Amino acid sequence: MRTGAVLAALLAAAALTPLGLDADGYALRVLTTALLFAAAAQAWNIVGGLANRLSLGHAAFFGIGAYCSTLLLVRFGLSPWIGMLASAALGAGAALLIGLPTLRLQGHYFALATLAFGEVMRVLANTWTGLTGGPVGLSVPFGPDSLALLRFKSTPPYYWAALGLLALCTAAFLGVRHSALGYRLMAVREDEAAARAIGVDATRAKLLAATLSGALTAMVGTLYAQFSYFFDPDTVFGITPVSVRIALICIVGGIGSPFGPILGALFVIPMEEAANVLFGDRAAGLAPLSYAVVLIAVVVTEPRGLLRLMGSVLRPVMNRVRAPAAAVRPMAPRPGAGP
Amino acid sequence: MALIQALIDGLLAGGVYALISVGLTLVFGVMGVVNFAQAEFVMLGMFAAWAGWNWLGLDPWLGAPLAFIAVFLLGSVLHRLLLRRVMRAPAVAQIFLTVGLLLALENLALLLFGSGFRSVQTPYQTAAVHLGPFIVGVPQLGAFTAALGMGAALWWFLARTRTGWAMRATAQDPAAAQLSGVDSDAMHRLAFSLGVGLSAAGGAVILPYYTVFPSVGGQFVVLMFTAAVLGGLGNVAGAVAGGLAVGVVQSLSALVLPLQMQNLVLFVVFIAVLALRPQGLLGARA
Amino acid sequence: MTQHTTRRAALLGGALLAAPAVLRAPARAQGRAVNVGVVLPLSGANAQFGVNSRNGIELVADEINEAGGIKALGGARVNLVIADSSSTPTTAATVAQRLIAQNSVVAILGAFASSLTLAISEVTERRDIPLLTMSFSDQITGRGFKNVFQVVPKASVLGRAQFDGTLAIAGAAGERIERAAILYEDTAYGTSQAQGLRDAAKAAGVAVPLDEGYPLGITDATPLVAKIRASGAQVVFPVSYLNDSLLIIRAMRQQGVDLPAVGGAAGYVIPDFQRGLGPFAEGVLSIAPANYDLAPELTERFRKRYGYFMVHEALEHGVMMDNLARAMEAAGSATPAAVRDALRSTRFTEGWSQAMTGKAVAYDATGLNTLAEPVMVQWRGTELVTVWPAGAATGKAAWRSRTG
Repeated sequence: MRTGAVLAALLAAAALTPLGLDADGYALRVLTTALLFAAAAQAWNIVGGLANRLSLGHAAFFGIGAYCSTLLLVRFGLSPWIGMLASAALGAGAALLIGLPTLRLQGHYFALATLAFGEVMRVLANTWTGLTGGPVGLSVPFGPDSLALLRFKSTPPYYWAALGLLALCTAAFLGVRHSALGYRLMAVREDEAAARAIGVDATRAKLLAATLSGALTAMVGTLYAQFSYFFDPDTVFGITPVSVRIALICIVGGIGSPFGPILGALFVIPMEEAANVLFGDRAAGLAPLSYAVVLIAVVVTEPRGLLRLMGSVLRPVMNRVRAPAAAVRPMAPRPGAGP
Repeated sequence: MALIQALIDGLLAGGVYALISVGLTLVFGVMGVVNFAQAEFVMLGMFAAWAGWNWLGLDPWLGAPLAFIAVFLLGSVLHRLLLRRVMRAPAVAQIFLTVGLLLALENLALLLFGSGFRSVQTPYQTAAVHLGPFIVGVPQLGAFTAALGMGAALWWFLARTRTGWAMRATAQDPAAAQLSGVDSDAMHRLAFSLGVGLSAAGGAVILPYYTVFPSVGGQFVVLMFTAAVLGGLGNVAGAVAGGLAVGVVQSLSALVLPLQMQNLVLFVVFIAVLALRPQGLLGARA
Repeated sequence: MTQHTTRRAALLGGALLAAPAVLRAPARAQGRAVNVGVVLPLSGANAQFGVNSRNGIELVADEINEAGGIKALGGARVNLVIADSSSTPTTAATVAQRLIAQNSVVAILGAFASSLTLAISEVTERRDIPLLTMSFSDQITGRGFKNVFQVVPKASVLGRAQFDGTLAIAGAAGERIERAAILYEDTAYGTSQAQGLRDAAKAAGVAVPLDEGYPLGITDATPLVAKIRASGAQVVFPVSYLNDSLLIIRAMRQQGVDLPAVGGAAGYVIPDFQRGLGPFAEGVLSIAPANYDLAPELTERFRKRYGYFMVHEALEHGVMMDNLARAMEAAGSATPAAVRDALRSTRFTEGWSQAMTGKAVAYDATGLNTLAEPVMVQWRGTELVTVWPAGAATGKAAWRSRTG
C-alpha cells in the first residue's frame, strides 16, 4: 500500500525534525500543537470522513480526556499514561452516550445535537466546581522531569508523544477504512436503507466508529493537558477553540483522506501563530478570519479539501512535466466539483 | 411571588428569543439549511444599532429598522456569493459554509470594532413599570413590544402577500413551486435576507439592556436553536412558541439553579427533542 | 494513485520541513537594551484594564530610559516587548512562551486578570523567568512557585478588608450591618476574593443570605438583582470586572434596589465605570489595592500624559517596572535568575514604590509584597477618594447619602 509507505516515510522525517530545532524554541511548540490537533482531526475523520457523521461536538471528548487524566493525577497521583487509558475509556463511553440518541439523525440535525452535547459538557465542567475546579481551571502539577508522569521541561518529548498519537490515530483511521467496518460504513453512508436491507448492522457500525473516535480524541485531550500545564472549561470544551477547529482542520486538509488532517493542521496552526507574531495586538481576529475565509473558499469550491485542490491544480503541471507528449491528452474531470 | 416575577421576566425575554429564532427557522424552512452563523447576525444587528446610537444619536429602537435593512442587504450579498453555491452540495459543505461564516463574521467584527464591550445609555434604561409587587423593566417591555410588532409584520407578509405565499410554497414543495413559476433562487435569497435581518432587528431592540461585543453571538446560539427545534425547524409559529418557552424555562431555571447552569436545562431539552422528536413538539414538516 | 501519493508526500514533507523556517525567530533585540516582556489583555473584555496597565508601565519605563537607563548595565535601555494575551488563559500562556523563546526577556509583567496570570505563571516557573503581577487571586502565591512576585495583597485579604472597612464606615454612620449579599464573577479573581468576604462575614457574625457566583460574560443581570431584592440584604458586595459591574449597578437602579454596593476593585475603580453610569456612580464604595490620591506627586504625571487619573492597575504596574529596574541595578545583571534573587532580597523604598500603600515594597519568600494594605475608596464626581483606613484617608466616607 503506497499510502502506508508514504506515511511511514513522513513519520520518520517528522521524528527527526526536533533534532534540527531549538528544543526550547517556539517553532517546536507550534509544531507540537499542530501534531496534537492533527491527531484529533484524524480521530474526527473516522466519523466525519468515513461515516459522514459531521460532529460539531468533539470538544466533549477532548475535554473529558484533559480533565480525566489531570484529576486522576492531582487527586491520586496516577500517571498520565494510565490516565490516558482511563480517558480513552471515558471518551468511548461519552461517545456511546451521545451516539445512541442521535443514531437516526443526519446531516444538520446530527451536527446540532453534537454541538449541544459539547456545550452540556462545558457547562457541567464550569459548574461542577467540586469535581473540576470550575471556571478557575486546573493546573498540572509542576516538578522535575519524569517520563512516568509525562512531565518534561523541554518540548521534544511532547513532540514525539504527539507524533506517536498522530500515528496511532492515522493507523486507526486506515485500519477502519480498509476493514469490514469501513465497507459497512461506506455502504451506510451511500444509502442507509439499502445497506440495512442487505443486512448491514448500521447501528453497530455507527456506534463502533463513534466509540473509537471518542476514545482517541480523549487521549489527545490528555496529552494536550500535559503539554499546556493549565486549562479551563472554555479551553478544552469550547466550540470554537476545539470542536470547530478540529472539524475545520480535517475539512480544509481533505476530509476522508488520511493526509487531510495532517495537511490541514500544518496549514491552520502555523498560520494562526504566524499571524499572531506578525500582527499581534494590532489585528486581533485576523488569523481566525483568514482561516475562516479559507474554510469557506474550500467548502464552496472544492469540498474535499486542499488536498484535492492542490491535486487538481498540480495535475496538469505534473502531466506536462512527466510526459510532454501526453499533455495533449484530455484531463480527467475533477471529482466532486460543481453541483 | 418570585415565581410570577420570573415568569414575567421569562416571557419578556422569550418574546425577543422568538424573533431571533424565527429568522433561523425561516432560513431552514425555505432553504433546508441550518444557518449556524445565525447568532452572528444578532451581533451584527446589535453593532449596527450601537453605531446608529453612537454616530447618529439614534435610539436603538429607531435603529432597529436600519439594522434590519443593513443586515438584509448583507444577507442578500452573502446568498448571492456563497450560499447559492452549496444548495446542491453535500451536507458537509452546507454545514461548514455557515460555520465558516460564523467564524468570519465574528472575527471581522473583532477587527472592525475591537473587542471592547459597548453599551448604550438611554434615558429609559433604568426605568421600570410597577405592577403591584412586580417589576417590568421598560427596556425589556419595549423590546418585547417591538418583537411582537415585527412578528406581526412577518405574519402579514407570509399570510397576505403573493411573495409570502411564494416563499411558503417553496418551503412546502420546491419542485411544485418552481413548476408554478416561482423563482426558487430568489425565494431562497429573500428568505435568507429576511431571516438574518429579523435576527439582527432582534439584537438591536435588546441593546438598551445588553452589552455588545464580537463574541456576544455565542450567548444566543443554543437558545436560538433550542427555540427553533422545539417548535419544529421550519415552523414559524413554532419558533415563536419555542422562543417564549425558552425564555420562561431559562428564567425559572435561574430561580433554582446557579446562574451558570441556567442554560443546562435548555441544552438537555434540546438534545432530548432532537433525539426523540426531531420534528419538534408542534410537529412540523419533516 | 502513484502520482497522488508521491505528490502528497512531497507536499507534506515540504510543509513539515518548511514550517520551522517560517517560524524562525526574528532578530532579537541587540546592543544595549534589556527586553522586558509585557503580557496584558489588550483585546477582549478586559482590554481597558490592559491598556491602563500598559500605560503605567510605559510611563515608568520612559522615565527610566530618559534618566539614562540601567546604569549597572552600562546605561542599557529598557525595551518593552508588549503582547496581547487576549482573554483566554491558553493564549496568554502561548504568548508568554513566545516572548521567552523568541525575545529572551529578563522578566514578564502581567497579566492583570488572575486567570491569565495563573496560566502564564505555569510557563514562567518552568522556564525560571520572574513574573511580576498585580493579580491577586490567592493561588498565585499559594503554589510554592519561586518566580512569582505579587505587588498587591492577596484576594482573601482584600475581601476581608472590603468587608471590615464597610462595617467600620457603616458603623461610623450609625448603621449596624446584619445581612449582606456577596456576588462574584466566577474566575480565579472573584472566587478568591469572595472567600475573603465570606471569612470576614463569619468572623463578624454577619449573615449572608445571598452568596452567588455568576459567569464572567454575563449579559443580563436582572435575575441576579432579583435575587438580591429577595434576600433582604442591607449591603451588596459585588466582585466584578467592568461589564458586569455596569450591568449590576444599572439593574439595581432599575429594580429600585437601593442598597449600598461596595465593589471589589477591578471594574468598580476605573474611569469607564463612572463614564458608563454617570450620576449612578456617585458615592459607590470599593476596596482597592492602591489609590492615586495617596501619592499625587507621582501619579499626576500619569494624568498629564494620558488625560485620566492613574488607575490602580496602572500604578501597580508602574511600581513593578520600577522594582524590576532597581533589581537589575542591584544585581548588576540581566540574567533572570540574578534578577529574581535581587527582587526577593531588596526592600524598595525609593521612587515609584512610595506610591504603594505601605510607602515601600518588599517581596517575601512566596513572592507576596507584605507591606501593601488595602484601602477603601469612594467615587466623588469623576474622582476616587481614599476614605479608609483612617491613617490613609484623604476624605471622609459618605454612607447612604448618594445623590440621584
